[in-house]
Amino acid sequence: MQKHAARIAWAGVCISAGVVILHMAGSVPLWAYAAVLVLMFPVIIIGICLWWMAKGGKEDIPFIGY
Amino acid sequence: MIAELVLATVFGLLLLGIHRKVIARIQRRPGPPVWQEILHMLKFSFKSTWVPATASATLFIGVVLVAIGIWTAAFFVVFTGGSLLVVFAIYMLHKIVEHGFGLSSGSPYGKFGGVRSVISAASEIPLFVSVAAIAIFTRSFTLSDIVLYQQVHGPLLFIAFPAAIAMYLVILSKMPSGPFSIVESKELVSGYKTEHFGVWRAGLEVCNGLKTTVLFSTFILVFIGQVPILWMVVGMVLLVISLSFACALTPMLSPFDSVTVQTIVTGLMLCYGTFLYVGGVA
Repeated sequence: MQKHAARIAWAGVCISAGVVILHMAGSVPLWAYAAVLVLMFPVIIIGICLWWMAKGGKEDIPFIGY
Repeated sequence: MIAELVLATVFGLLLLGIHRKVIARIQRRPGPPVWQEILHMLKFSFKSTWVPATASATLFIGVVLVAIGIWTAAFFVVFTGGSLLVVFAIYMLHKIVEHGFGLSSGSPYGKFGGVRSVISAASEIPLFVSVAAIAIFTRSFTLSDIVLYQQVHGPLLFIAFPAAIAMYLVILSKMPSGPFSIVESKELVSGYKTEHFGVWRAGLEVCNGLKTTVLFSTFILVFIGQVPILWMVVGMVLLVISLSFACALTPMLSPFDSVTVQTIVTGLMLCYGTFLYVGGVA
């Protein structure tokens, strides 16, 4: 899971870096650049966190009120 | 722009830390250090994380991504001088996201938090009638036009003071420990975010940081105008201090009182907008 998360985070970083470079070169308009970052920023954040989080843990049933 | 996004997130979390510190000092408590919210976010990101057995996994994880994504979009809209209506559409989306957070978890605390989020949306969103008052003066909903208007006529804070109060109330509604923070009321544990722990909560903290920076900078741009970045930072700190006083000195209202107060203000704002429009004040 953590290796998978690292791959997703790196993919997000690479796509974002690529679009930044293309935008600076004038090949990608601002709206497309913004759209890619809007999609990639959450993926990078959650990907990095899932990558470096502590291992272990199993799904549980939280308090459901009954 | 990624660097700006990260800076905006960290600064927003710092503002929330200042908020907690000021509230604590007013209540004669030492309070946490101002960078506590940043540490909080980092702490949650390191914690072991999973999806509860009772949760809808897709929605449980998806809302975290959507929450960060919508405020990233709002950040772009504000800093490219886009439409104020888009910023408030995103604010409305955030209410739906809060609802999704609560419902996805399968916990009654989360569900009640989600329901309260919808109740509070019914009274917070009409407060955006203040945008109509601004448009009567500036003849535009675009932030860049509103900024240009203020360069000629002076800050809208003085020209359209009631609209500033209504917008201030919208921001106050989103502050933790505020009189209108019914979605995070302690009888609901942590409200809609009760079951989002670990990495999911870290994502939510990132969203909160971005949201704070976006809402505060929107308020300053709309009611004071374009100022140098240092003054923007000073303005945002002063804004958070004033909000902290309001939060520290006011008890949390019950859900129906919260809705009533906000609805009364909306009614007053409608009267103000009608007065401006019919009276041709602008």
